[in-house]
Amino acid sequence: MSEGYADETTLVNAESNVYDRGLDAAIGLSVLTFALGMVTLVDAVPLNASGAALGESLVTVLAVVGGGVGIVGVSSWANVTPVESHRVRGIALGLVGSTLGLTVLAYAVPVTLATLLGLTLVVEAVAVATAGLASRVEAVDTGPNTSAGLLAGVVFGALGLAIGTAVGGSLVGFDSPAWVAVALGAGLVLTALTVLPREDVGSTVPAALVVGTLGLTIATAAVGVGWQWNPQSLSGGFTGGAVVPLFVLVGAVLSAWAAAKCRAGFGARGREFGAFLVINLNAFLMVAVMATIVVFVTVKGVGYALHGFTIGALSALVLLAPLLVVVANAARTPAGTSDWHTGARQLFRLLPLAAVGSVAAVLLSVLLTGDRLAYPFTYSVQVNRAQRSLDTALAVTPEPTVGSLLLVVPALSLSVYFFRSYGSLRNVGRRFEWVETARRTLPLAVAGTVALTGLFLLVGPTPLGLPLGGTLGLAVVVLAALAALALSALPLGGVLVGEGALADRAQDAATLFTLGVFGGLALLTAALFLQATATVTPSVGPVNVVPAVALAGAVASLAATALVARAKRRTDETLQRRLLGEETSLGLTGVAGFLTLLGLHVAVTKVSFTALGVSVANAGTLSWPMTMQTYVPLGAEPGGILPAVVGTVWLVTGATLFAVPLGVGAAVFLTEYAEQGRFTALVEIATNALWSTPSIVFGLFGAAFLIPRLGGDESLLAGMLVLGFMLLPLVLITSREAVKAVPDEYRDASAALGVSQWVTIKSVVVPAAMPGVITGVILGVGRIAGETAPLILVLGSTLNATESAQVLDGFRFTAQPPFVANDALLSASASLPTQVWAVIAAGVSGSPSMGWASAFVLLLVVLTFYAVGITARTYFRRKLTYE
Amino acid sequence: MSNALDDSETETTGRTASQTTTTTAGESDERVREAWTDYDFAGTPKLSVEDLNVWYGDDHALKDVSMDIPENSVTALVGPSGCGKSTYLRCLNRMNDRIKAARIDGSVELEGTEIYDPNANLVELRKRIGMVFQSPNPFPKSIRENISYGPRKHGNIEKGLLARLFGRDDTEAEYELVERSLKQAALWDEVEDRLDDNALGLSGGQQQRLCIARCLAVDPEVILMDEPASALDPIATSKIEDLVEELSKEYTVVIVTHNMQQAARISDQTAVFLTGGELVEYDDTDKIFENPESQRVEDYITGKFG
Repeated sequence: MSEGYADETTLVNAESNVYDRGLDAAIGLSVLTFALGMVTLVDAVPLNASGAALGESLVTVLAVVGGGVGIVGVSSWANVTPVESHRVRGIALGLVGSTLGLTVLAYAVPVTLATLLGLTLVVEAVAVATAGLASRVEAVDTGPNTSAGLLAGVVFGALGLAIGTAVGGSLVGFDSPAWVAVALGAGLVLTALTVLPREDVGSTVPAALVVGTLGLTIATAAVGVGWQWNPQSLSGGFTGGAVVPLFVLVGAVLSAWAAAKCRAGFGARGREFGAFLVINLNAFLMVAVMATIVVFVTVKGVGYALHGFTIGALSALVLLAPLLVVVANAARTPAGTSDWHTGARQLFRLLPLAAVGSVAAVLLSVLLTGDRLAYPFTYSVQVNRAQRSLDTALAVTPEPTVGSLLLVVPALSLSVYFFRSYGSLRNVGRRFEWVETARRTLPLAVAGTVALTGLFLLVGPTPLGLPLGGTLGLAVVVLAALAALALSALPLGGVLVGEGALADRAQDAATLFTLGVFGGLALLTAALFLQATATVTPSVGPVNVVPAVALAGAVASLAATALVARAKRRTDETLQRRLLGEETSLGLTGVAGFLTLLGLHVAVTKVSFTALGVSVANAGTLSWPMTMQTYVPLGAEPGGILPAVVGTVWLVTGATLFAVPLGVGAAVFLTEYAEQGRFTALVEIATNALWSTPSIVFGLFGAAFLIPRLGGDESLLAGMLVLGFMLLPLVLITSREAVKAVPDEYRDASAALGVSQWVTIKSVVVPAAMPGVITGVILGVGRIAGETAPLILVLGSTLNATESAQVLDGFRFTAQPPFVANDALLSASASLPTQVWAVIAAGVSGSPSMGWASAFVLLLVVLTFYAVGITARTYFRRKLTYE
Repeated sequence: MSNALDDSETETTGRTASQTTTTTAGESDERVREAWTDYDFAGTPKLSVEDLNVWYGDDHALKDVSMDIPENSVTALVGPSGCGKSTYLRCLNRMNDRIKAARIDGSVELEGTEIYDPNANLVELRKRIGMVFQSPNPFPKSIRENISYGPRKHGNIEKGLLARLFGRDDTEAEYELVERSLKQAALWDEVEDRLDDNALGLSGGQQQRLCIARCLAVDPEVILMDEPASALDPIATSKIEDLVEELSKEYTVVIVTHNMQQAARISDQTAVFLTGGELVEYDDTDKIFENPESQRVEDYITGKFG
């Protein structure tokens, strides 16, 4: 860092002198003190630690600080995120320097952390006072105002009053009224010192006095670790363990503020920089609190939560594939201009690819060598009121099998990803009469297959005893699959057959690409669903037709894509390169799409599919007992909390499905249609009141009102509805704000085109309000996912459930009203928050480590919902701005 | 406004009243003649407005305005701020219906059909009379979607999976429509290769031409423009002005402007509104700018007032 500082002369401010650098160091030291104050506040490092123990903790801090500053420094040096501000550079340097200094001191001098922090405060006080006085005697060039201002005076007066009270009380005791004189005197003196002199003295000397006093109090152990004060009027008391960190925090903020003012040369700029630093420290405090909670829960719960986690290497590779594609694309982006930074930038673009690639390489090596990769660790469970330690391991097994759902999800997302990068191949390529005919026939064929599927879905595969599914259905499935096979082979055929160079042939085959990929995928999807509803599985010998066609389609598409990509490298024509690029995207869409269908087939029919030793199966590739098993009551291993995860996912899904359409609809009505007046104002007040209603009241309402009307038992549906009621006001409030924020110009423009109000709302207003609506939903889901109180009353949750709610399988259709019934929705279920609560409330019979693990899983579930919400919001925002 | 047709019988009375008001308002104005109200042009009027009054609450924003607007020409509406010219413009395609406090009385006929008829089809009306606003207001959608928005919502263009299944896919038609509208609005050359980019990424002048193209895409007969160039720089303004002149060959254009030179440059006839919502003079543009009949109009045009 210092090298860069000295080398880039153009960036070095001519006025950056000893005064500036010293103050940067002081600010760095104050920030470090602040951070250490927080560390001691949460008791991460004890205040009376000293010597090697203290040194080790400080080395950790040094590693964190050095690592953070180092990463920023390197990326600044490489011009990825250039940091040009002198102050930031100086403070970063000061931060590293002071951490190093404190670490060395801790090892060299046998003092406790409290003393060390006290001494640090004293040093800061001296530095600030020196800087202020240097400015006063005009040793440095600054622009102070005539006074530090009344506000600063009042603040320092109050601090003086507090310190005076403490000092006076301990000198003369609170029995004699003399302490009042001391307190008032100290307050007045500090106020006068702040307000009367010029700003450079007024904002440094009082700060130095306060910080110095705090520092000396701690350093001399006047208020030390064992210190205690129990006022008679209070039932509790103050201990050194709580007061010392508080002193350190106040002292650090004060000295940072004063040093920042000095650094910016007082005046308007000084005030701005001072305020800026204090606000930043506050924000830092908030982020630190959040990070602490997450890290704490993770550390406590992750061991138990991950016990027995095993994944097949091939499955892991498939899961990694989308990430690999994304980072590979990032690495392909050109590195920009040809200055000396290009190499470094390229490096930063390649780093993610290298990281993901190395993981992929490890997985591949597991697959090839057949050696199991394992990381063993232990976790503790409670058996018969005693803690027992169990051995377990994180493992990657060399299975050449991929789970069907593990294939479907990444393949589908990749397919969508490639399709989005595909633009258009209109009016490109040779025209064939038969291609046009096929293009016109295809929709009819797909529609016919879909219609047949619908028929079978409604009346079953054997209506009136006629084995229609086994005959007509089978024939249609086979025909459609064969047609899909032929279609999927079209692109490859088009590239291989024909005249001219490879690139020209590929360009000519553009019509075949669109027809082959889209047609093949559509037909095979239709055949897949028809097969499921007709309950037939056409096969030739031991080979199932549909998955075989899917695999063949994927291979054919891959081959065609590879040829096109090769042709693209060889051609020099820009236009042709672009066209072939489109074809490549389309081909990859086909590959991923056909693989999705393959996985889907296995998932639907429950029959695994094997080719060349690699198989797609329904079980055995991923094992995560904590989230994939139910509780095993008396087993050697405790099993997991699958019912609770399933319950929470259903609760959140149900509540969202209930509340979001209702809330958004009401928001649109209230904003677009309703006359703005008493009624809307009343609704607004009612909504706000509903939002602030305590959750337990919602729970009581659910228990007393909903449950008797929903079969009389505590149930999942009651839980969904209660959570939905809680979500409703927030969705309504945020959606209303979002709809209101849509500019009237859009509505005017649409109306002037003769478009009716309803269509305008549907196609302009709601899409424009979508990001705001989703923000509301994200916030609301965060609240209801962790909601415990109402669920205790309405969900009927038990601790360590052994069965999860089968909501999808629970639907039954009947000929009589109400035509649909679902027992799973009407019976009790488990949920994560109630699981955590029950483990705590169960006392000795619950296992605390399981509670932490459940909390960790709950955190994961909520974060997953967040991720989904944020992705959706980003998608809609992009749609609104730049696609 | 429902009795607009009955009111048209008392036309003569209304007009006399309006002239009386005008005369008393400009007492020093001795040159007022009655000739301007009979402004005559060859051919049938596209729009004819009789005794139009608008109130916003208690505020009488437009007073007894009557004027006929000829076909395939540019009519400029000029006047100081708050004189009611935008209000008047917004009456011509019933955009004032969207303001709840507005009350409208009088008659506006489009080729002899009363547009304030309670049975009038608002969708059809606004398809025939398009509007371009003061500040460019493209939708936050792609350029292509902006253009095809109107025709798609009116069902003239259908695309997507369902349309394709029913054997109707108007993608070709959409592409042609987008190209034709953008060429008409003189924007095609600038955006040809980024039709799928978001319209908000265009510059202000381009956005305004896009709005004009969007308006043209629904194939209107009349185009109302409310100070379309006021938020634009001189170069973009001159492009819009050229465009307006070009459009007047096929469309009837009514344009509100604050800029006298602009009105003089591009319009065939000019209507001058002055404070209080009165139409003071309406005649050929040359006549208005060279030899206005009203002293107040001359004062306004030469900059002595307003």
